[in-house]
Amino acid sequence: MSTKVAEVEGARLTLTNLDKDLYPSYGFTKAHILEYYRRISPFCLPHLKDRALTLKRYPDGVGKEFFYEKRCPSHRPSWVKTAKIPRDNGERMTVCLVNDLNTLIWVENLASLELHVPLARAHSPETPDSMVFDLDPGDGADILDCGRVALIIKALLKELRLACCLKTSGQKGLHVLVPLNSREVTFEDTKKFSRSVAEVLQRSYPDLVTARMGKEEREKRVFINWSQNDPSKTMVCVYSLRAREKPVVSFPVAWEELENALDEGNPRRLQFLHSEALSRAEKQGDLFREVLVKNQKLPYL
Amino acid sequence: MKKPSSLHSPRLSSKRRAEAHFHEMWSGTVSFSLVAIPVRLVKAVEPGRVSFHMLHAKDYSPLHRRMLCPKENKIVPPDEIVRGYELYPGKYLLITDEELESVSPERSRTVEIIEFIDMEEVDPVYFDHPYYLAPLKGGEKAYRLLAEAMHRTNKAGLARFVMGEREYLVAVKSTEGVLSLITLHYSGEVLSGEDVSPEQGKTEREEQDRLKGIIQGMIADFDPDKYADERRENLLEILREKAKHMAPVESPEVGEEEEESTVDLIAVLEKSMRKVKKTGEHKSRRG
Amino acid sequence: MAEKTFWKGVIHFSGVDVPVKLHSTVREERIRFHLLHGRDQVRLKQQLVCAYEHEPVPREEQAKGFELEEGKYLLLDQAELERAEPKSSRTIEVHEFVKTSTIDLFFFEKAYYLEPDSHIEEYNALAGAMREMDVAGICTWTMRKGSYYGALQAGGNVLRLTTLRNADEVIPVKSLEIEDIPLSEKELKIGGDLINQLSAPFQPQKFVNEHQEQLHAMIDKKARGERIAVLRPRRRKPTSPDKLLEALQASLKRAG
Repeated sequence: MSTKVAEVEGARLTLTNLDKDLYPSYGFTKAHILEYYRRISPFCLPHLKDRALTLKRYPDGVGKEFFYEKRCPSHRPSWVKTAKIPRDNGERMTVCLVNDLNTLIWVENLASLELHVPLARAHSPETPDSMVFDLDPGDGADILDCGRVALIIKALLKELRLACCLKTSGQKGLHVLVPLNSREVTFEDTKKFSRSVAEVLQRSYPDLVTARMGKEEREKRVFINWSQNDPSKTMVCVYSLRAREKPVVSFPVAWEELENALDEGNPRRLQFLHSEALSRAEKQGDLFREVLVKNQKLPYL
Repeated sequence: MKKPSSLHSPRLSSKRRAEAHFHEMWSGTVSFSLVAIPVRLVKAVEPGRVSFHMLHAKDYSPLHRRMLCPKENKIVPPDEIVRGYELYPGKYLLITDEELESVSPERSRTVEIIEFIDMEEVDPVYFDHPYYLAPLKGGEKAYRLLAEAMHRTNKAGLARFVMGEREYLVAVKSTEGVLSLITLHYSGEVLSGEDVSPEQGKTEREEQDRLKGIIQGMIADFDPDKYADERRENLLEILREKAKHMAPVESPEVGEEEEESTVDLIAVLEKSMRKVKKTGEHKSRRG
Repeated sequence: MAEKTFWKGVIHFSGVDVPVKLHSTVREERIRFHLLHGRDQVRLKQQLVCAYEHEPVPREEQAKGFELEEGKYLLLDQAELERAEPKSSRTIEVHEFVKTSTIDLFFFEKAYYLEPDSHIEEYNALAGAMREMDVAGICTWTMRKGSYYGALQAGGNVLRLTTLRNADEVIPVKSLEIEDIPLSEKELKIGGDLINQLSAPFQPQKFVNEHQEQLHAMIDKKARGERIAVLRPRRRKPTSPDKLLEALQASLKRAG
């Protein structure tokens, strides 16, 4: 039974290739993927809402060819919400807004395993509602090093009375997000601020941190990618699956959890598979809720 | 040594109290005739011991009262706050501090005693709010003299002064060598008791004497310590019970509010970074 | 005119019951200002703000804590607070009577006039007895979920009730630690003479709030678009300790 007509919240949707194994070395079919996204949707949807989705489609599964799709496919069902956003060439592009479960299931039926969204909402593309520190380990560094850097960033931000939230990238790195949710902040502000933080950290911990993209400079260090604070960039959405060997999730981490992982020296505590992500989210709720609601102001700008 | 908890000792530590009291709200001069005494005004009363602090349920940070702009949903720093007089709904006339002070420039810096009175003549209905006056440098001797001379003559000074947006009629009184200042209501603000006064029929002499007898049997000394407030006592009881099986919550350390915007971001980050490194709150060591 | 009644109760002690209604004793009329945001003149409102995050905290995120020691709080929930509420009652229970003069005025908080609700003879007899004996009844009552203690007094023919502050709400004089500076008898004598010279009966009606009138005038002027001359308040030069006697003598001469 590979094709099925499903009714999700009153909308009819034809789901195709349900038994296609999209994570072949692990054994995780499209049906599994749809089931994951259906159950994670209460937590995931608020973070996708009103953001221009970039689809990252893996029609033949992970490890095979994939393609990005920024434009919302024209063959979309009528109930898919869209927005028009300006492109650099002055044209306006229609993008998908994943505001409900139907759309999420439809998008997943297109095998968009990963969900990437900008830091701003489609109706105010120049106003980020959070600032991110994308921590990316270079060769010879690992996710625990990213964790050390994340703790320093958190302590530094605390001095400035800014709270922040942590999630795994689902790959090798970590993302520290600083909720802003203010109409007044711009990407220029968040870029300047995050870059200053990155540079100060690099000066204080030259063996651990770099603020520069160059490959050699990243060796054995954690690269703080501040340039993600840009209207043209997207980040993997929290609770999104990643297209790796196993269905790993970009998942929120409580700060104590990070400390425990560092104390144990155990990088696997910072990796969350689909099943653990679901059971944890259903138990603890959305650890990333603050990112959506907390209003903070970047000082000293 | 373990500090006694405030559940059992009714007073806060003397240091904190001192800090709390001597927060200055006004300073200027008390004068009578040709004598001028530099003073500052300090609190004489404060909320009692069973008063609560409002906390943030999330992390138990204390809450402060601040002015919020409802349009921007933002806290407005003091330097952006102005004073407005509402001419008609929504239309304000801005009044600056300087303009306000210009209304009565002398009175906004001087409590000038116009005459001396017997405090007993002041109907308590006039009492509004008590403060203490503390001498400022150089004024200690004249301060002592005024306090002592008023004590000996059993008089209090009557004066007017302006604090903030308001002028106050005040009594300056001596209490155990200390000057206190009691704001009084203006007579125009005091409502007449006549309106509620009952018709005076023939006095029930007999009943009045009977009551006098009862009252006589109930005469005691005034002792404010013994009049327990039922609600306070109930609360203290609940708190004592609770303290037995429940640990108190702790609020995070809250720094002083700093001037923002004038400071360079990098300099602030560097400074904070040094602090972070020093306190070693993070685990930057590599495993 | 007296304000309207907002609470009724019964004065009670030793078989005596006098039903009364409470009325305010003062009505302040002042010019009100509002705090505005300078840039757009939006009227500001007070808000509780987290001292740590500097963010407004909505009601549902506020908690009440009793401070045990600095920074350490015992939390109390709504049910516990309600449990502490005194039982509502209409009785103003008089526990004892004290000489009026023994209540330090620092304890007086807020006064109410009491109007007899019935039993006028009993009311008059009580007011008369208390007036003649110059006593105040120390009583407790509960009103709007709060418990109060206060002084019942007779002012002329009218009974009044003044709420009193609790002992720990009045900051002791000693905490000011005023230095005891020796004064000469001569200074004290002249100081006392000067005070007596300047003494007058308390006649509050002599004083009207001139400032209020001038403030109104200033606002009117500014509203008409006229310029307000800014006058700088000046601090008076303090009388130095060695010039004190001289200043007192000069004052006395001027007063006399």
